[in-house]
Amino acid sequence: MLARALFSLLAFVALAPFVFAASDYYENLLLQPLPQSALLASFTFRGNESQQSFDERHFRYFPRALGQILRHTNTKELHLRFTTGRWDAESWGSRPWNGSKEGGTGVELWAWIDAPSDQEAFAKWITLTQSLSGLFCASLNFVDSTRTTRPAALFDSTGDHPASSNLHLLHGTLPGEVVCTENLTPFVKLLPCKGKAGISSLMDGHKLFDASWQSMSVDVRPICTGPDECVVQIDQTVDIVLDIDRSKRPRDNPIPRPVPTEELVCDTSKPYHSEDACYPLESAAEKGWSLHEIFGRTVSGVCPLAENSDDNEPICLRVPHDRGVYVSPGATERKDETGFSRCFSLDPSQPFDLLVQEQDATVQVPLDEPVLRAERTIVGHGQERGGMRIIFDNPSDAHGVDFVYFETLPWFLRPYVHTLQATITGRDGIRHQVLASQIIRETFYRPAIDRERGTQLELAISVPAASTVTLTYDFEKAILRYTEYPPDANRGFNVAPAVIKLSQDPPVYIRTTSLLLPLPTPDFSMPYNVIILTSTVIALAFGSVFNLLVRRFVSADEAAALTSQTLKGRLLGKVVALKDRLGGKQSKTE
Amino acid sequence: MATPTALPPLPFNPSRARSYLLRLPLFTRLVLLAALVFWLLELQTVWSVVQWGALTPNEINLGTMYRLNTYPLIHVGFFHFILNVVALTPLLERFEAEHGTLTAVALFIGPLSTLPAGLYLLIEKGIFNRNASVVGASVWVFLLLASEAIRTFKSHPYFSLGSTKIPTWTSPLFVCAVVSALVPNTSFLGHMCAIAVGYLLGLGYLKVFVPPEKILRWIEGKLNLLGRLPHYVSVDQKTFGRYGVLPTSAPVGDRPHQSAVVPPRSVVHLQIINNINWVYFPDRHQHQCREVTDLMALKSAIRKLRSNPQFLYVRLPYLLSFLCIVAGVVWLALLPLDDYSRRTYISENALLPGQVHAYFSGSEQNVFRGYKKEIESLLPASYHEVQESGVRDAEFTPVVSDKIQSILRAAGLKVATQNYEYSSSGITHQGQNTYAIINAPRGDATEAIVLVAAWKTADGELNLNGVTLALTLARYFKRWSLWSKDIIFVFPPDSKSGTQAWIDAYHDMQPASIQPLPLKSGALQGGLVIEYPFDHRFESIHIVYDGVNGQLPNLDLFNTAVAIAGGQMGIGASLQEMWDHKNDYRARLETILRGMLKQGLGYATGAHSSFMPYHIDAITLQPKGEGWQDEMALGRTVESLCRSLNNLLEHLHQSFFFYLLMHTNRFVSIGTYLPSAMLVAGNFTIMAIALWMRTGYKSRAAVKSSDEQSSDGKPSGEKPSDEKSEVEQKSSQTETKDATGTTERQLALPLSLVVGLHLLGLIPLYTFNNLSYKYYTPATYAYILADILLPIFLSALLTSSSTNTTTNPHQHHLIKSFSLLPLGLFLSTLATLNFSLSFIIGLLCTPLTFIHRIPKTASIPAPLRYALALTGLVLLNLLSPPVVLLAACTYSGTSVETVLTQAAFGWDVWGMWTQVVVWCVWWPAWLSGGALLGCSFF
Repeated sequence: MLARALFSLLAFVALAPFVFAASDYYENLLLQPLPQSALLASFTFRGNESQQSFDERHFRYFPRALGQILRHTNTKELHLRFTTGRWDAESWGSRPWNGSKEGGTGVELWAWIDAPSDQEAFAKWITLTQSLSGLFCASLNFVDSTRTTRPAALFDSTGDHPASSNLHLLHGTLPGEVVCTENLTPFVKLLPCKGKAGISSLMDGHKLFDASWQSMSVDVRPICTGPDECVVQIDQTVDIVLDIDRSKRPRDNPIPRPVPTEELVCDTSKPYHSEDACYPLESAAEKGWSLHEIFGRTVSGVCPLAENSDDNEPICLRVPHDRGVYVSPGATERKDETGFSRCFSLDPSQPFDLLVQEQDATVQVPLDEPVLRAERTIVGHGQERGGMRIIFDNPSDAHGVDFVYFETLPWFLRPYVHTLQATITGRDGIRHQVLASQIIRETFYRPAIDRERGTQLELAISVPAASTVTLTYDFEKAILRYTEYPPDANRGFNVAPAVIKLSQDPPVYIRTTSLLLPLPTPDFSMPYNVIILTSTVIALAFGSVFNLLVRRFVSADEAAALTSQTLKGRLLGKVVALKDRLGGKQSKTE
Repeated sequence: MATPTALPPLPFNPSRARSYLLRLPLFTRLVLLAALVFWLLELQTVWSVVQWGALTPNEINLGTMYRLNTYPLIHVGFFHFILNVVALTPLLERFEAEHGTLTAVALFIGPLSTLPAGLYLLIEKGIFNRNASVVGASVWVFLLLASEAIRTFKSHPYFSLGSTKIPTWTSPLFVCAVVSALVPNTSFLGHMCAIAVGYLLGLGYLKVFVPPEKILRWIEGKLNLLGRLPHYVSVDQKTFGRYGVLPTSAPVGDRPHQSAVVPPRSVVHLQIINNINWVYFPDRHQHQCREVTDLMALKSAIRKLRSNPQFLYVRLPYLLSFLCIVAGVVWLALLPLDDYSRRTYISENALLPGQVHAYFSGSEQNVFRGYKKEIESLLPASYHEVQESGVRDAEFTPVVSDKIQSILRAAGLKVATQNYEYSSSGITHQGQNTYAIINAPRGDATEAIVLVAAWKTADGELNLNGVTLALTLARYFKRWSLWSKDIIFVFPPDSKSGTQAWIDAYHDMQPASIQPLPLKSGALQGGLVIEYPFDHRFESIHIVYDGVNGQLPNLDLFNTAVAIAGGQMGIGASLQEMWDHKNDYRARLETILRGMLKQGLGYATGAHSSFMPYHIDAITLQPKGEGWQDEMALGRTVESLCRSLNNLLEHLHQSFFFYLLMHTNRFVSIGTYLPSAMLVAGNFTIMAIALWMRTGYKSRAAVKSSDEQSSDGKPSGEKPSDEKSEVEQKSSQTETKDATGTTERQLALPLSLVVGLHLLGLIPLYTFNNLSYKYYTPATYAYILADILLPIFLSALLTSSSTNTTTNPHQHHLIKSFSLLPLGLFLSTLATLNFSLSFIIGLLCTPLTFIHRIPKTASIPAPLRYALALTGLVLLNLLSPPVVLLAACTYSGTSVETVLTQAAFGWDVWGMWTQVVVWCVWWPAWLSGGALLGCSFF
């Protein structure tokens, strides 16, 4: 609970500035070591622009490129997520930002668009995705009607919108999109300091994308403190979980070769311990690290735009207070009263580095237990049918969990909703088949139309305390037309992760892993070969046979007689006769 | 034997092809014979005919000039031979018929072989300075084609394609280009040389080489070649040779040999030739007479064939069936030859086997030893005591499982367990699988690779080193960030049931007695099983790849393992327990047969076998022999294999799923080996169809009697004498089909018998899969006894039920037809799924095609009939399913109980289908065959 409190504290700290200043810029980096030599680094960048100057196209802290797109497409609120990897809730506890700043694997986008009708909203949406696709170097242009949904209860608008506006929520995902440096570069370019100064100078693509889990988000929303006192806020975050061991490997020698025998940490208490037998001892000590080791560079001062903000402590570290931490000269440390967090204010002109000592852990930063565990897998085998199995595990012994479960399925995966079944397993391990309606309070189901839109399934579910609910349904795999297969090598089709929204305040979001759906795929080179071969054979055979059938074989002396009988021959004969007559038959032609 | 009198005409006329072949002139025959002999000679391995006789530029000197003449007669491989022969025969036949045998001999032995050869040598050696050797009769094919083209050019200079006119003499060039493009390993230059010489021949520039007619005539006269040599084309005949065949509607003259029957049309050609010869060469009356008599004999043979339903519908199917079986077996025996098998190759380029350096060495070995000591210390005292005797055994106790879990957890993996319980033939198999997952860094949990180290190997040995190696690898792999797929380490307690329970639960297809998996990953892309059941160093890696029901992993996986073990690590690889593989014919055939036996029995040969039904390719790596490779080398091999699998962008699909391996780098694919089993299966279908057609017509005796009856009943209707004569005519003439010959088939009894027998097969299927293991041996003997009694009982039932003796033969034919029809159908379908099982069952069933009720005829006295039937039944009983099982068990030295327990386990756990084929396909067919033979007693 402490950690959640801290996260909300962080959120409060983050939310605080806009209350005081209408137009400012704020950035923060939170570093938190996690179990199993992982390190969570949370970058936050926030810029405010007054609605008035936004409307006047006067951009100061808001990126112009994005602002123009939003204005052009009437987008009032935008949420864009780039995510790779898996958050290991079992080891790392609950998610940063309560999961509200992350998306499913790949790219996820949702936006509120002001438009008079659904069709116009969709047209604007397509314009938006095409523009963002160019801006972020992502394949967002592939978010077409089959990948677009309109969630009913999943997302609530976090911005303050005037009551008069006619907003449409549209949501699209690209689960197969690989997030990499080409997405980071435009992301960093949106920042006022553009990775040159401040904490964004740490963002090196090589290190960032070596992370075990990584999520980048862009949120744009209007916030009003009073009537006519509105700001447009852009909130950019990068959350990464780095493996400390892996990140500390030198860049020129990244191969994890076996360590030399003398460096091997062995359990010497074992009776068989000797020169050549070693039972490895996984050290219990917290690993030591520094910013330079982890990110490959140091923080180059402070972003000058953020200097004016009231909270001038851009870097925070969550380790117990008794942990030895060394910082570069010029920086000042402030420990907070919880005993687990400290923040640093930096010297604007000097580079900043931070060194955390290796130390035996006496106190652990308490981690928050996740409220719900969810797992979604495809079961069954074969090319024709399969099944979906979703497991919700409520670890709490006291409280039930209510949540909204949302999933979009591609049209070529056809679910049989009548096969939806629920099973409850208690802590005793006994399964009970229950009516689905006992678990599912509400259902929103929008069936797919082939090649036009995917299935949208939203369920309001409540899981009782100390129990595991398993939902299963069967589906059928459609056979695609051959042009609908991707042209390159593919391992199958990606099914977007399901999104779960826990009805709490603030809402907690959980996303399952994406799924791989193997469809019956023909070996495309084979029909190609067959077509070529048969065409050749048919052309050869047909050509010669047709020639023989159509051709008339006549002897040479017959040919003259034949040609004279045709229209052309007769005409020619007439012409010759006429010529002869006109020419006065000077010479008789033989 | 019942002989139908009126039968439908054959759909094609074989006499034409036959007459053409019989008419081939002498030199053509000799050339074809020589080519055949050389090809047959090439089959042996001692002396390479191709090397001896090929036209190799660097080999040509004064002593090897014979090559200039031998090369057109030598072929590499059967297809080369047959294609060239088919192409050459009509051309050469025409040439010889036009120019006479002597001229053909003179030209083809002389200039028409040496000139293209010389030209080729000149260009290949002199200009290109290369040394490609050529063989084959295609040189003559192209030469003759070119000369024919020149002739065509003279009569039809152009053929037009649209508006463009193409000179006809270019056609051989097109053919040559197409052939060189479509057929691999053809010599374009050689063909071009042949075409060039062919043009010269066609244009008449080579006339100088033709011996003067006078000399030819003199030789011919002196040696009396025309009289001595059959099929000789005389100097005088040559002008007519070609055009003699063309007229098709010439009137048939008065001929002394003409029979009363109008001959079939094809025979007319021969008669015309004879007529012409007769007219033009009256002085050779004697010789012509002989030739005509030959032809008459041929004609009558064809006529006899066509008009002899006894041969066509009674003898021929037996002959064809027998040929099918022989051809099927010979086909299989040919597969190990180089011409019919292929070298293996990596088809999926993404695999890149052995392209990465494997780092698993150094201090990892210390960790390996540490883990091994740690686990060894947990084993019961009995393990340490019997260590000296070499028999080491220890159960996968919860303590060991806990230790494995703690090691994996310490290495940072996600660990889970699964309990399972199977019961089969009264034995309960239970255990606990321990498994752990390395989550791919930055991966999205959509794909995974499985590494299995079972506590007990497939042979039941303690796999301590294998398990330890997997643990060490898990700790080592965790450090790498390059994995694109999750890696799952599974530690089942045994190789038989553990992986099956795990993989079933992974796909949520498990029975109720098996726990679901608490931890999962994505779609499995490949599996590797590590076995290392001894302590000493090893020499080579034995790769086991057979799956349940004869399913095989993608050949790419096997090839990758061989390439990595052999190419990268320098460890030899072996397969099918062939420790000493000399890669000769015998060793290859033995490897194929061992593979076929395993595939045919369809049991799980290791922990990897359970993966195959889920379309997950998996193999087992077993270190074998005493050598200097240690566990680290095996670890590096596994590491490199995992790296290759990690590279995959798609599920393994590129290479073959149906193949027979004969060596680590040689295989035959389904297209080549399938005809073998199909031919064996086809023999049943041929016999079934022939019997079905036979039963549609009355037997001769029956027709006669019915005719008499009808003539008695209806004296005013038709004239009985006419009918009788017609019936007699039918035996010699089949064109006029008569409706009175057909009869209605009575299907009720045969159909119900055959269907009933197939349903009866469910009883042994149920018995052998549900009995307790203690009763398996008595049950086998009980079924042997039942197999002795059941056919006799059935035949007694059959005889008593059908009192009408005239329909009896037909009923028996129908029973045989109906029992062979599903047999052929099942086996040919099965051949595409499990080739080996279909082939084995097909071979065991072959006697069923040939056995039949011994008819009560005067020619076979009753005692002889009884003796024959008894012998037949005894022999047939030796081939009944339970006796074959017993014999196989005795031969291999395993007890029947073990085999049947294993089979029931396979049925209950692995989903093995071999029993269904045995009891519901083989056994019913066997029973009906036995019943038919038993009918001879009554």
